[in-house]
Amino acid sequence: MLTAITRAFRTPDLRNKLLFTLGIIALFRLGSVLPTPGVNAENVRRCLEQAQAGDAGNIYGMVQLFSGGALLKLSVFALGIMPYITASIILQLLVVVIPRLEALKKEGQAGTAKITQYTRYLTIGLSILQSTAFVALARTGQLFQQCQEDVLLNDDVFTVVTMVITMTAGTAVIMWLGELITDRGVGNGMSILIFTQVIAVFPAELVNIFRQNSFAFAAVMVVGVFMIAAVVFVEQAQRRLPVQYAKRMVGRRMYGGTSTYIPLKVNQAGIIPVIFASSLLYLPQLVTTLFAGQEQPNVVVQWISTNLATGDTPVYMATFFLLIVFFTYFYVSITFNPVEVADNMKKYGGFIPGIRPGRPTAEYLNYVLTRLTAPGALYLGLISMVPIVALAVAGASQNFPFGGTSILIMVGVGLDTVKQIESQLQQRNYEGFLK
Amino acid sequence: MAIDTRGETADKPRPSGEKKRTSPALFYRQIVAELRKVIWPTRKDLINYTIIVMVFVLIMVGIVSALDFLLTEGVLAIFGGS
Repeated sequence: MLTAITRAFRTPDLRNKLLFTLGIIALFRLGSVLPTPGVNAENVRRCLEQAQAGDAGNIYGMVQLFSGGALLKLSVFALGIMPYITASIILQLLVVVIPRLEALKKEGQAGTAKITQYTRYLTIGLSILQSTAFVALARTGQLFQQCQEDVLLNDDVFTVVTMVITMTAGTAVIMWLGELITDRGVGNGMSILIFTQVIAVFPAELVNIFRQNSFAFAAVMVVGVFMIAAVVFVEQAQRRLPVQYAKRMVGRRMYGGTSTYIPLKVNQAGIIPVIFASSLLYLPQLVTTLFAGQEQPNVVVQWISTNLATGDTPVYMATFFLLIVFFTYFYVSITFNPVEVADNMKKYGGFIPGIRPGRPTAEYLNYVLTRLTAPGALYLGLISMVPIVALAVAGASQNFPFGGTSILIMVGVGLDTVKQIESQLQQRNYEGFLK
Repeated sequence: MAIDTRGETADKPRPSGEKKRTSPALFYRQIVAELRKVIWPTRKDLINYTIIVMVFVLIMVGIVSALDFLLTEGVLAIFGGS
């Protein structure tokens, strides 16, 4: 294991990629602690300590998790990667709905670039909305309700506008950092950044549990290890569809005649559905924070805040579960196209033994995929639910908001990244971590 | 006929509505049948991967916590001293 790490660092190409990624992560964390102009950093820190000490601090758990602790510090990167994720969900959904976008997607490279561009614009729009809302909250003192001190240095229009612009620009920078990681670093930028956000808050959450109840802490650790093992188990499971390639002569050479397989994972979608579902459910939370100060919130807002804002209501759990199942199928359907795979196989003289090439193959692929995705979606949903349910039964749900999602994100991204490093090592004929 | 599928792309619709809807019970049985054909990781692989993932996550937690601690102190030293 250790020798594999030194080997990874001894390979110049891989070392550069790893160091690049770590550098970006460092920049990301720097932006997450750097206060926005106009913020009284000293007071914010005091208020944060107060909020974390009090019971009400737990309400902030989810907000903390999805901003990597940056939001309540009112830092430059306060909004985190969330606007970008929300924007890309919205666009991926719109591609299915709007014919013009679908046409763009089918165009190939240029069309995809255009869609990415739209995603960026939408991200900026969303972050302007969110940052305005949060600066407004901070200005009126509702961000920290029990805290008497002034979070802002002064609250004239100029300061507020500067803050909004800074936070929006910060989100744009995060988006860029993420794309840099995807291009030149290790792994998918969006996943790596959300991974960083999750692990930045995780230790504090654990310490919190330990302080309140050391027995619960031990239980959480044991359950955690089992869950990690369970996630690894399912993520590694594959259905291998055998593919036989016909022999063919090209010039004087003989090609093909090999048999390989198409690996279909039980959970072909990875952890993206969980990220999507939880970031969608993060929206009601935002709505309730926005309306928190109103004297008489209207019926809708009241309903949302009682049913959707905390993780331990039945409505919330059901919505979360259904969203995960929906997004799993949705994401599998946009990432794996049976028709395309079948056509490609036919083009190169491949076939699945017992099934004719072309349409029947596509149908068979589709058949297997829909049947495999069902348990995959169930597994994702259940793993995200287990901690919520278990802790709700134990009456400790507030101590550990979003436990399942954090574990899924941590293990999923961890496994992906390790495997990617591994495959890069193997390209150079080294044996990696996973003997 | 045997040569039916040769020229066409795979996404042509089926000629007639011969396909019936799958009932939930049948769907369940098909899921179980597919799951039986899945290659699950061996015990050794499972333990190996679990340990590796945990080590990786711990290393990253260490790096990020250290960074956060240093950066927070630095930021307070610069902006908080007033």
